[in-house]
Amino acid sequence: MPVHPAGPRLFSSIKFKHLVRRSGSTSAAGTRASNISLNLTPFVDMMTILVAFLLMVFSSSKLLQVQAGLELPIAMAKGKLQDTEAVIIITKSEITFKGEMIATVDSVLRDESPTYRIERLFERLEAAARQIKIDVEMGKIPKELVTACDDLKNNKRPGPDQPLCPDGLAILQADLVTDVRVINKVVVTAKAAGFDNLLFAIKNK
Amino acid sequence: MGAAVGAEPGGKSVNVEVNIVPFIDLMSCLTAFLLITAAWVNIAQINIQPKGKTRDTSDVQIDDERIVLSVLVQADRIWVGLSRVNEFQEIAKKPDGTQDWDKLESTLKEHKANLFKDRNDLEIAGESTLQQPVKYQDIIQAMDIALKVECPACPVRKFYDVGLSDPMGLSARPSL
Repeated sequence: MPVHPAGPRLFSSIKFKHLVRRSGSTSAAGTRASNISLNLTPFVDMMTILVAFLLMVFSSSKLLQVQAGLELPIAMAKGKLQDTEAVIIITKSEITFKGEMIATVDSVLRDESPTYRIERLFERLEAAARQIKIDVEMGKIPKELVTACDDLKNNKRPGPDQPLCPDGLAILQADLVTDVRVINKVVVTAKAAGFDNLLFAIKNK
Repeated sequence: MGAAVGAEPGGKSVNVEVNIVPFIDLMSCLTAFLLITAAWVNIAQINIQPKGKTRDTSDVQIDDERIVLSVLVQADRIWVGLSRVNEFQEIAKKPDGTQDWDKLESTLKEHKANLFKDRNDLEIAGESTLQQPVKYQDIIQAMDIALKVECPACPVRKFYDVGLSDPMGLSARPSL
């Protein structure tokens, strides 16, 4: 593209005298100044309030894995979703564990194995349960969960709002229209693999 | 924006213009970042324990001598049953085609206030077939109601121990 000399520019070739007149400020030389000062105070105020509000609602905890097209069921229960390593996700079409595709929903519905388990999911869950157990035994857990794990060892059930020990704990994130047969199979598989505590992720009304 | 830092009487004004451009830049970046990372959907949890007998024959279970309160959600009705005494209550769908969750709540309240005053356990199962599928939302709704039911006068006020069972392994299963 050829280079042309610069054309007319605002305040240079085109003076905008009417705007300058309205601005009301004069330069040191007595002529009308061309600077229009914007009042930024309301803008800064608004920004400060917005930042303060967003900082208040900001959660630094690990966000739940988001899967495209996954719509969680709606319920009134208020317990805040606890974070744990084992997350099983069931979308409208597939089952994934830790981001790895395990099986399609259709294949699970077609499978009529007598054990009523999803074998590939069972293998992954069993390995994950073993690893979590080792981590708990070695004390690689947050301090606030130590008491919960001690209670679990003593067969003491935690209260309704108390945190749960990660040993044997998994999150199930399933789409609200998922067939219950798939949920049943996943729950049976999780139980067989050593996950005796399941957290069903729900959306509050 | 300016700041008067002590003008001398009769002397030159010592107003200092504070450059707020970096401040606005920082605020804009922070606002954009917080807006993107904000979690607008409130995600909660329902804690359940897998219960009941499994279909796996290697997993032998000992029969419980206590009466167990069982809820079976089907596509067209809900059954509330008591094991051992084999008493069942059928909750049919409402005329508009939706499950009668209010009736389920009142039924569970009744059981809580009578037989389950000092108990906190309950079993829920969903029976889905190819012809009459039951959705996950229905099971969650049933669990939500079970967790909500409260008996203020009872020694144990709520059903804290809600378990999900396989429909075939439910302690009280209506024979259809």
